[in-house]
Amino acid sequence: MAAPPLPPETAAPPRDPAPPGPAPAPPRRVPRRAPWRARLNPYLLLVPALVPIAVGLGYPLVRQFLLSFQEYGLAQQFGRPAEWVGLRNYTELLSDPYVWGVIGRSVAFCLVNAGLTMAVGVGLAVLMSKVGRAARITLQVGMLLAWGTPVLATLTVWQWLFDSQYGVVNWVLAGPLGLAEFRGHSWIIEPASFYLVATVIVVWMSVPFVVFTTYAALLQVPAECVEAAQLDGAGAWQRFRHLSVPLIKPVLLIAALLQVIWDLRVFTQIHVLQKAGAPTRETHLLGTYVYSLSREFSMAGAMATVMLVLTLCLTGFYIRRMLREEEL
Amino acid sequence: MRRVRTGGLAAAAVASLLAVSACGGGSTAEASGDTEVRLWLNGTDTPQELRDYLVETFEADHEGMTLVIEEQDWSGLVPRLQTALASEDQTPDLVEIGNTQSPTFTYAGAFSDLSDMYDELGGDDLLPGFVEAGTVDDTLYAVPYYSGARAVFYRKDLFEQAGVAVPQTLAEFRTAAIALQQANPAQDFSGFWFPGQDWYNGIAWLFTGGGELAVQEGDRWVGALSSPESQAALTEVQDLFTNATRAPRDADSNEPWVAFNNGQAAMFSAPTWARWSIALPECDKGVDPDDTSPEAEALLAEQQACNEERTGVFPLPGAQPGTPATVFAGGSNIAVPTMSQHQEEARDLLRIIYSEEFQTMLAENGLIPGNSQYAGALGDDPYAQAALAAAVDAKLTPAAERWADVEGARILEDFFQQIASGTDVAQAAAEADRLLEETLN
Repeated sequence: MAAPPLPPETAAPPRDPAPPGPAPAPPRRVPRRAPWRARLNPYLLLVPALVPIAVGLGYPLVRQFLLSFQEYGLAQQFGRPAEWVGLRNYTELLSDPYVWGVIGRSVAFCLVNAGLTMAVGVGLAVLMSKVGRAARITLQVGMLLAWGTPVLATLTVWQWLFDSQYGVVNWVLAGPLGLAEFRGHSWIIEPASFYLVATVIVVWMSVPFVVFTTYAALLQVPAECVEAAQLDGAGAWQRFRHLSVPLIKPVLLIAALLQVIWDLRVFTQIHVLQKAGAPTRETHLLGTYVYSLSREFSMAGAMATVMLVLTLCLTGFYIRRMLREEEL
Repeated sequence: MRRVRTGGLAAAAVASLLAVSACGGGSTAEASGDTEVRLWLNGTDTPQELRDYLVETFEADHEGMTLVIEEQDWSGLVPRLQTALASEDQTPDLVEIGNTQSPTFTYAGAFSDLSDMYDELGGDDLLPGFVEAGTVDDTLYAVPYYSGARAVFYRKDLFEQAGVAVPQTLAEFRTAAIALQQANPAQDFSGFWFPGQDWYNGIAWLFTGGGELAVQEGDRWVGALSSPESQAALTEVQDLFTNATRAPRDADSNEPWVAFNNGQAAMFSAPTWARWSIALPECDKGVDPDDTSPEAEALLAEQQACNEERTGVFPLPGAQPGTPATVFAGGSNIAVPTMSQHQEEARDLLRIIYSEEFQTMLAENGLIPGNSQYAGALGDDPYAQAALAAAVDAKLTPAAERWADVEGARILEDFFQQIASGTDVAQAAAEADRLLEETLN
């Protein structure tokens, strides 16, 4: 846009350098150029951040979107031309009741897990702000370890705990607790108990993040306000509910938003548990289902787009609200 | 404040960009150095000695070139190949691929035509089922690397205690397994170690009974698990699951010797190289695995002899006495990816692999070599005999273009798990047939 007007201006001076005209020109040009550059500078600074985002996120997203309207599988990858099929991938997927089952399960799993994570996380954060130094540091170290352990290492340990033959959970239940039916009990073979195990693992892994963010926010609640409320006769619960929560709400909102996003696209935990011997088809969630479609990139692309729309639907409310609060 | 933060962001972004470009620079520099030929082998089936032989022989013939062998995990191999084989930069120059996964890639045009090398590599001596799996429309794209036939390992002492003889037919095998389990009342004892997702062993009953997984009717693949032959065989399988095993329903065919070594199973079925994994507690000499002194090696040899003395092996028997069962022929093919920039070198490497020396080495390590002419080197111990007997009649999964998708979706794992869980056989088969058809067509 800025380019067309420039050439005539810059081309003009060399043509007639003799007339006294050029004299007033420089002062005119300088003020014009300066704001333009000044305006450009912040954008230039954004370039290093925007380029990786465009390359790393934008390109795959656009490609995924385009693929979802094509027929693109293994053969196309090795050079056969890809055919445009319009909405066929979408209609095929969305007319399959199994796909709706997966979507339903994923949303339920996501909401239950995000809710549990927030409840446990906020609870622990409050606990952390009430206990003494030694207990707090113990809690913090424990949380950090849970947060910092690599996912696959964690999953291996959980898998061993719940192993049907040699797992310690079954051993404790069947031995000391005398529940003989748990000897050799398989925890992951029924979808319901599969999701129970998955929930335990997912919540366990995401709680530390919520604890730390909430705890940090709680530290920002001004002591004077708390004291004033206390003098006014507000009990501990009232102080938490009507003072702390409204003050740390932006933080809670963003933590919950992230949990919803993460738990909707949960992949590693489910995938590893499936590999450990669960019935694959009955335990698919969106993440693993998209992966299972990857033999046909166009199908996987369509499903991933559906998943993106779903994520936006679930989080749109939050995002609007967050943006509004930021403006205030 | 704001300015500082933006500056930090920009700096971080620039730093990461630099890091990325530095990585790129590194790999191009490496590629422009001496030529590197890459071979992908899967799992640990190919012993180190054979890998060393390949590298030494290849590099001796090709001055200034290096052969890099990269080991891939069998699990998740198909998606990895799907991305690697389509890229000139990432593709290996020669690749091992599971025999049942070959059709998916040969149909897609991922491999170069090897038809002109057929006779040179062994011609009609190449394992026929594997050649078929690597052929599309009379063009050969993938050649057999090795086959690992399955055989049944058993504890001689437990057979004696239970008064069971080595079974001669498949029906006898089932009675023996049930008798063994009844003779050992321990709560986690299995007559035959048969975990719920173990379809590799389970389909031996299907094939022996004349059943099929899927058959081609015209252009379409049709699931065949509901046919009367398949149903009869699957009912026997369910009986085994119910009465002859206490293996977890959520386990697969990996490491079946663990329970055997723990005294929790009287029999298990595995490729014959599983003999090296048997370690009965009563034979354990407590040798440190890192100890390479002559004493340690002598002790290990003693330990191995002790294990093999107590363990017997036989090929899974067929319907009639004296015939082996039709078992699943596990094994792999080898192919040259189309995208490889070193076609000639890859072909040279193939020639080394199909040389008498290398094929003999494969056989000496208990693998049935791609060129069956050299299978004699398997030796004449009971393991080799059992392997050979099982390989005679072994069978592959359907050579359908999309068979790898069936494995990717774990349809058969789910199906056998349902049978192990007591689901009605006809109902489970109908559902599995539907899924097979959906996936294969």
